Amino acid sequence: MEFFLDRLFDGISNGAIYAALALALVMVYRATGTINFAQGEMALFTTYLAWGLTTKNVPVAVCLVVAAVAGFALGAVSERVLVRPIEKRSLLATLIVLLGLFSVLNASDGLIWGKGNQSMPSLFPNTLQSYVSVFGARLYWANIGVWLMVAAVFAVMFALFNKTRLGLQMRATANNRESAALAGIPVGRILMLGWGISAAIGAIAGVLVTPLTPDSLGLGEMFPLLIYASAAALFGGLDSPGGAVVAGLLLGVAEVMISAYVPAIGGQLQEAIAFVAIVAVLLLRPQGLFGTREVERV
Amino acid sequence: MRTAVSFPGPVLVRERSAAHRSLQVAGIVFLALLAVYASTLNSFRLGQLTVALLYATAIAGLNLATGYTGQLSIGHSAFFGLGAYTTGILVASHNWNPLVTLIPAAVICFATGLLVGLPALRIRGINLALVTLALGVAFPELVDRFPGLTGGQIGLNINVFQLLPPHWTGISIANRFQYYYWLSAGLLAIVLVLCATLTRSRAGLAMKATRDRETAAAAFGVNLAWTKMVVFGLSGAITGVAGSIFAIYLGSLSADASFTLTLSIVLITGLVIGGVATTLGPVIGGLAVYFVPYWTENIRQGEASELIFGVILIVLMFVMPEGLMGLITRLSRRVLRIEPQPPGQGQPTVDGGSSTVIDHHEERNTA
Repeated sequence: MEFFLDRLFDGISNGAIYAALALALVMVYRATGTINFAQGEMALFTTYLAWGLTTKNVPVAVCLVVAAVAGFALGAVSERVLVRPIEKRSLLATLIVLLGLFSVLNASDGLIWGKGNQSMPSLFPNTLQSYVSVFGARLYWANIGVWLMVAAVFAVMFALFNKTRLGLQMRATANNRESAALAGIPVGRILMLGWGISAAIGAIAGVLVTPLTPDSLGLGEMFPLLIYASAAALFGGLDSPGGAVVAGLLLGVAEVMISAYVPAIGGQLQEAIAFVAIVAVLLLRPQGLFGTREVERV
Repeated sequence: MRTAVSFPGPVLVRERSAAHRSLQVAGIVFLALLAVYASTLNSFRLGQLTVALLYATAIAGLNLATGYTGQLSIGHSAFFGLGAYTTGILVASHNWNPLVTLIPAAVICFATGLLVGLPALRIRGINLALVTLALGVAFPELVDRFPGLTGGQIGLNINVFQLLPPHWTGISIANRFQYYYWLSAGLLAIVLVLCATLTRSRAGLAMKATRDRETAAAAFGVNLAWTKMVVFGLSGAITGVAGSIFAIYLGSLSADASFTLTLSIVLITGLVIGGVATTLGPVIGGLAVYFVPYWTENIRQGEASELIFGVILIVLMFVMPEGLMGLITRLSRRVLRIEPQPPGQGQPTVDGGSSTVIDHHEERNTA
């Protein structure tokens, strides 16, 4: 039981991070119809920024806010300057520009902050003793903190989408850009906003996930997370924010449980298994669990 | 004071006329001479060229699926690796003749391509790209998972004596890099001819129709399922055979070093830099993705290499979206224009006096 709960807590923490990044991917997909391959690197850049500030004795909470704001700016500017002029050309062109952005951000991280791995201080008490005991299993405050923060982000996003005028405009733009523009919605600004919010969510996820493992802040940290997050987004349905959250959590828990209880495919094969399972699901439901079915007008 | 200078207009050459044919032959002879000249370079440069030409071949394979049929693949590193490991395992563990292993490598990669093409029947666009991403992610993990077969994380080493040039080539051991170079150059030539022929055929039209307007293509009788699957298989087979020769050249394989997603990204990048859906674009692209990072590595001890690569990539997409080959084609049209054969006239003629020039959008006159 302890063993199971320990794993479950870890799985939920990982899943929360996958879910947050998957939500970020879904927001970009709804705005622009593409996967943002630079999403992980945007998050890494802002996480480095936050880490750089913590080394100058800035409180972690302040660093988190700075990272989120910087992420917002990075996302919004990328949309306006890099993506919008190119997106009508083709999907391939957009992807290549995002891959270019991926390279630029990753290389900049290395040039500015160095190539060695760093440890990021946590927003929450993060010592070996700071846990509560749940049926004998250790539930660390750091984990609880991550859950609460991610839950708060989801709550804010849900409220934004469903309860505000701005959210309505965002949904309208995602649904049909031309009609939205005709109805007087400033589509350009909404797209920038979507990318900005998406990158800000990624920035928060980066600052939250990095302290969970010592020495984990490095140039290769975010790419595997992005792979899992895109698997989650695909699984949940690329245009469904709720689907991204559910699928991210499921994937996080499943990953940990498989490596704990099915040693034959655990460890090295995790990513492959996650993807094979998802491809199998997609064959039955091409739109993902909660996605909208694509309908083509002839 | 400005004077009006009248440039002479482009020279018009009728397609498939004697003049057109001789131009084509001149182009091929020029490329062949270039290849012969390159073979006199030192071993180090030959090794570099070998890898660049193999990338070019792999990109030509990718071009069939992504460029001509519109199936974006981020998983072609897996085909390259699958071909390389097929050759590596058959040579190292089963003593096969390296050149014979190209056949099973092609067959295995073709079959894998068919399997990957299968989801493409239901999944489209960016979702399909993510499915191929799965393939690219899974491949190195699978290699590590079966160390008995593949050498796992330690890697797979082929005895170098098994990879020396065979006697009939007349190439000495000291000059063995010439052998690897000619293998890759020969493969590239065959693949380019194959791709050019295929994409100009009826099947090629079906591929482009599938890419441009799927529904309309189906309405005109294109078998979408068949087209997508077979193209994906063929595309994978070509990339896989390039991987096979990569194994013959390199002699030691490590999936975590050579066949990760990074390679897929390199291949896509090369395709776009060279020119999507062009015949010679993959060659330019292969050379570019190999040599540009190599040259930029000397700037600031290589720290800025990745940065420069990323910037080049973004700038290229903005200023030259049709790739280098597209640019070359556009510029050369100012000097020389190939007129298509008017329908219904069977016999090729040199006819410069035609009054109507149909500007066609095909990439016919690139080669």
